[in-house]
Amino acid sequence: MDIFEFYRKDRWPHVFCPGCGNGTVMNCFFRAFNEAGLSLDNTVFVGGIGCSSRVPLYINSDALHTTHGRAIAFATGLKLAKPGLKVVVFTGDGDLGAIGGNHFINGCRRNVDMTVICINNNIYGMTGGQASITTPHDFQSTTTPYGNKEYPFDLAEIAVAAGANYVARWTTRQVHELTKSMKSALQKRGFALVEVVSQCPTNFGRRNKMADPSQMLEWFKSNTVRRDKAKSAELDHVDLNLAGQITVGEFVDRNRECYEELIGVEKHG
Amino acid sequence: MTIPPGEYFVQGNDACVEGALASGVKFFAGYPITPSTEIAEGLAQRLKGQNGVFLQMEDEIACISAVIGASWGGAKAMTATSGPGFSLMQEAIGYAAMSETPVVLVNVMRGGPSTGQPTKASQGDVMQTKWGSHGDYQVIAFAPATVQEMFDLTVECFNYSEKYRVPAFLLSDAEVGHMRGLLRVPEKLNVIDRKEMGIRRTDEAYDVPDDLVKPFPVFGKGHKAIITGMTHTETGRIEPEDSKVHSDLVRRLNEKVLRNRKDINKWEMIGEGSKTMIISYGSSALGAKEVATKDPNVGLLRLKSIWPLPEEPIAQAARGAQRILVCEMNLGQLFFSIKRVAQDAGCKQVELLSKLGGEPPTPSEVRHKLRSMGAV
Amino acid sequence: MKPVINPKLCKGCNICVYICPKKCYTKGTDISEMGYFNAVVSFPEKCYNHNREGKLICELCVLSCPDQAISWHPETEEEKKK
Repeated sequence: MDIFEFYRKDRWPHVFCPGCGNGTVMNCFFRAFNEAGLSLDNTVFVGGIGCSSRVPLYINSDALHTTHGRAIAFATGLKLAKPGLKVVVFTGDGDLGAIGGNHFINGCRRNVDMTVICINNNIYGMTGGQASITTPHDFQSTTTPYGNKEYPFDLAEIAVAAGANYVARWTTRQVHELTKSMKSALQKRGFALVEVVSQCPTNFGRRNKMADPSQMLEWFKSNTVRRDKAKSAELDHVDLNLAGQITVGEFVDRNRECYEELIGVEKHG
Repeated sequence: MTIPPGEYFVQGNDACVEGALASGVKFFAGYPITPSTEIAEGLAQRLKGQNGVFLQMEDEIACISAVIGASWGGAKAMTATSGPGFSLMQEAIGYAAMSETPVVLVNVMRGGPSTGQPTKASQGDVMQTKWGSHGDYQVIAFAPATVQEMFDLTVECFNYSEKYRVPAFLLSDAEVGHMRGLLRVPEKLNVIDRKEMGIRRTDEAYDVPDDLVKPFPVFGKGHKAIITGMTHTETGRIEPEDSKVHSDLVRRLNEKVLRNRKDINKWEMIGEGSKTMIISYGSSALGAKEVATKDPNVGLLRLKSIWPLPEEPIAQAARGAQRILVCEMNLGQLFFSIKRVAQDAGCKQVELLSKLGGEPPTPSEVRHKLRSMGAV
Repeated sequence: MKPVINPKLCKGCNICVYICPKKCYTKGTDISEMGYFNAVVSFPEKCYNHNREGKLICELCVLSCPDQAISWHPETEEEKKK
């Protein structure tokens, strides 16, 4: 399949800024979807609100573009009402972890079969660069002009603790590993989360001395530590700070029974 | 199994459960809240046998979101809540209106604002139902006054929400929800299903033109549907900057309900043409009904549907009347709309009997108020 | 195969210039129709996939390009000889 059979060519060029990581994620997702051998007509893409959540609108399939933060709740209803469909959620850090945090942890807990791609750009990009729950400590944004005094959330670790079946994190610098993890997530039954730490040169990089997207990719490259190579539990924890590190890799891969199996909804047809 | 035809003695909330099952509900997402919890409990028990899904979500926002998702999955879906939960749901209700999703919400109203009176009745959410979410949109709302109507109007909620692709509300209250009474389940029910894209419509069910209510795209059938709450064209392309697209869309969403008022509105008229008319709805109409049935000089217009506002029956009641009394369990919500219509129709004296605190106005309170108006 | 940049899609972010391990790309100097300084494939013969058919390797540029502007095209006979 050509990439523009997968995406809606008539909507190109897309709305994302030059150098935005969303486009990179779209490339990797297309490859993973293709390799997983899934059918477009049988897949519904759900998005919330934000830059990342615009991705479903570009995919040549059914899309449900929902309200801010509630994508997982919408996807839960959709999946349980029509269990034959494959449901993929595109979401961002603010959408998933801040306004939708409750639905996120309960989604992991409930373990309904869906694939969640979270594009974490450490900022509220679409509204112009406000601090988000993953903005690293002491970084600048329009709402933290004196530096962000809060500490960031670790979305992948939360998902592991809450009970998701598959959790992985990569940055947009590791495109091949990212593609592989997306494929595994798409093939996994149950709640699967792939968090992609992505660059927002326009609103994050520009205020943090990384206005050039390649500077941000270099930041990712020099600060990522592979989870399997992290030496201690202390190193295992993500800091997302220039002085700290971004832990990447597969966080969990297990086979807890998913919700629709438990309630026997699959038998309904 | 749906309830077999016959006569039953049940609680209002249980009648609502039976009505929903009889209309073919396949998905319910709920969160415990007094006084609507019996509906969730009832459906948790009964949906499994109907190949349906019951889901207890983490909050009311998740409930309505899951219900909208399920509706796009092709299931008839509903949720039930009360005041505080209803407030949380408002954003998604606007989404359902904008994305033209059929959903049914049962709001068993309780005393507000805030936590208020969880176990007591009120009609404080009437305006919130119509205006709660931001932007211009229309909804369909019914107000049951008896156990029987909890059943009948739940069925109507499903029918009209599927027919016009709008969120439909059953505005019950703690009084009707917890009332026990006679439920007569008819042999045959009129159940309307959605008009799916690519399927020829059945003429009997749809009397509205295609340009107002679009056929329903179905997920997983290659329709490549884009469902969004953003301003969009007919093909689903988002055009938030285009003023004409926005104006056309919002006007159509409102028109499709307003132009079909005749089809949607339901009411009961007693003593039409009386010089004194009472207009009321829901459980606050019960006391007024007793007065109107006993006193030949007093008439009653009981609104079974309140949104879109039944202007025709109100004007009809006002035309021959010298005075109108509106009974509500709030500080006057529908009163001002009724007053506008009644005064346009030529009735000068329109007054309000408002009762707060949890109990509907009693017949003696209604009579007392009528006396002070110079009616009896 | 050689990478080709579609000038109608490229937004000139220069990620390809940064990411290519073989330094095939250089920053552009001419402004495109879209109003960006598009990157240029200056040294396609350095690419890992030069004269390669079938399954390609590396592909960092194609996978990383945020605007889906880079695609693989067969080389001409003349380019193959380089």
